Amino acid sequence: MEKSNHFLTLKDICFSYNGTNKILTNINISIERTELIGIIGPNGSGKTTLLNVISGILKPDVGDIFLQNKNINHLSIEKIAKLISVVPQNNWVTFNFKAGEVVFMGRMPYISRIKGEKPEDYQISREAMRKTHSLSLSDKNIQQISGGERQRVFLAKALAQTPELLLLDEFTSHLDLKYKYEMLNLLKHILKKEKLTIISTFHDLNLASIASDRLLLLNKGKVEKIGNPVDVLTEKNIYKVYKVKPILINHPEFNVPQVIM
Amino acid sequence: MNKSFTHNSGYAHWKKKAMLIILAGTLVTLLSGIICLNFGAVSIRPGEIISLLLNSNNYDKTKSLIIWQLRAPRIILGILTGAALSMVGGVFQGILRNPLADPYILGVSAGAALGACIGIAFQYITGYAFASYLPLFAFLGAMLSLYLVYRSSKISFSANSTGLLLSGVAITFLFSALITVLLAFSRRELHSMVFWLMGDLSAANWQKINIITLPVIFGSILLYFSSLDLNALALGEEEALHLGVNTGKLRIRIFLIGSIIIATIVSFTGLIGFVGLIIPHIARLLVGPDHRIMLPIASFLGGIFLIFCDVLARILVSPTEIPIGAITAIVGVPIFIYLLRRNRQ
Repeated sequence: MEKSNHFLTLKDICFSYNGTNKILTNINISIERTELIGIIGPNGSGKTTLLNVISGILKPDVGDIFLQNKNINHLSIEKIAKLISVVPQNNWVTFNFKAGEVVFMGRMPYISRIKGEKPEDYQISREAMRKTHSLSLSDKNIQQISGGERQRVFLAKALAQTPELLLLDEFTSHLDLKYKYEMLNLLKHILKKEKLTIISTFHDLNLASIASDRLLLLNKGKVEKIGNPVDVLTEKNIYKVYKVKPILINHPEFNVPQVIM
Repeated sequence: MNKSFTHNSGYAHWKKKAMLIILAGTLVTLLSGIICLNFGAVSIRPGEIISLLLNSNNYDKTKSLIIWQLRAPRIILGILTGAALSMVGGVFQGILRNPLADPYILGVSAGAALGACIGIAFQYITGYAFASYLPLFAFLGAMLSLYLVYRSSKISFSANSTGLLLSGVAITFLFSALITVLLAFSRRELHSMVFWLMGDLSAANWQKINIITLPVIFGSILLYFSSLDLNALALGEEEALHLGVNTGKLRIRIFLIGSIIIATIVSFTGLIGFVGLIIPHIARLLVGPDHRIMLPIASFLGGIFLIFCDVLARILVSPTEIPIGAITAIVGVPIFIYLLRRNRQ
């Protein structure tokens, strides 16, 4: 098997739920360490499916995923959980756990079911809460805190997993403007400090443009374009994928394209 | 450095808490058992009971027999049954991510009851005494219902929780209908069939306890080791997978062990309702949802709740007995409605 020098490589990934209806077709991408990749595309273009294939919970029909030269398809989900963590879109918790308990669940892949946890597991959880400014939420019930607070708690949980790769599924979709930008800044800060690599799906093109180093535009399960926001968010690309004629302006502060209707 | 989570009440001290619960739970259960020994058709003074417990050769033979061969096994059977129902109810609610799940929701108990009723019917048709094989019939029935539930949910819903719940409800209806058909054909045997459907601890003896104890205790310990995985599952199926929990295997393990426990219990006690639904909720209200703490509390509460319900069943219209399943429902339903209202607020 050939080796690649990239942090994460997807080779010829195809995925379908029942063998006939292809959700993802021939995905080939390489991602470097400490990049923030934004996946964009219309509803049903396969954004979340791609994320689930990378996280290993969906197995591709063909193709391989190499994370630091390890083939994800050959790893057990316990091993994958130590390398990749996910902040889900839906963060409802069935029973009313304390926020601190939810963060601690990030240590699950490291805890022996018989011996129990070590003191360092608590330290790491606490540290993760400190980084995401959620330490004060520790004793609050997860069902009673706001959507923005819950998203911070789930980010802390994902960090407590001490992953190499962090996946986020439309982490801003339930948040209002203030929390959106708060989370964005937090994420950028953590990325730099922890040398994490982040892949996130975005519904909001403008936010994706500001947040990401590179954008991956999906169209019906195929890679339409991958590259810098300036190269991906063009009138031609957006019209081809979204079927609307956009007006593009330049963000005065971040110097990236912004899409207005 | 170890004081990290000190202000965070639950998780960090779970070992101490669990030990405390087991110690206190054992003591309270023992005490409740001794209190319950006092109730029955024949009145025996508490003082006499204490001396009978300490020295069984003392006093008169009849009273000794009542305490040791009738009341004590019944109480122990009640404790084991209540604990097992609550334990399995708790883990089923966790694995299905549904607070309304109980040990019966997957049709396991209906299957066991149908198996037992078929056993009873065979006994009357063939004339052979199957009585000691009834648990086997019940067990086979439980396994059959489990298989059907799993298969039918797999076809339509790829074995997710909703699919399991729906097919569990469907199989329960089907099996209850089959039991009704059997009842329609039966005459003399009607009474022993009703036994399975209403639940009853009165047939307790030491031999039954010997058979039940091992699967209940051993099974509960095995279930308990999945506590952390069940905690993770509260975040959702996909989240649990992301945390390295093999949810497919976990589901099969929980359902199999839970069903074996319930099948064993049901075949000796019949269908005792509401314990397995309500007690885990009360436990969660008391100590929070962490399964490592909640499950032991639920087990002890369940055992204690059931033996007190059984006392009510024995003394309310003494010397006639009310089936215990009726008492647990009468006591349980108001608590259940209260919890539902509370949840909505």
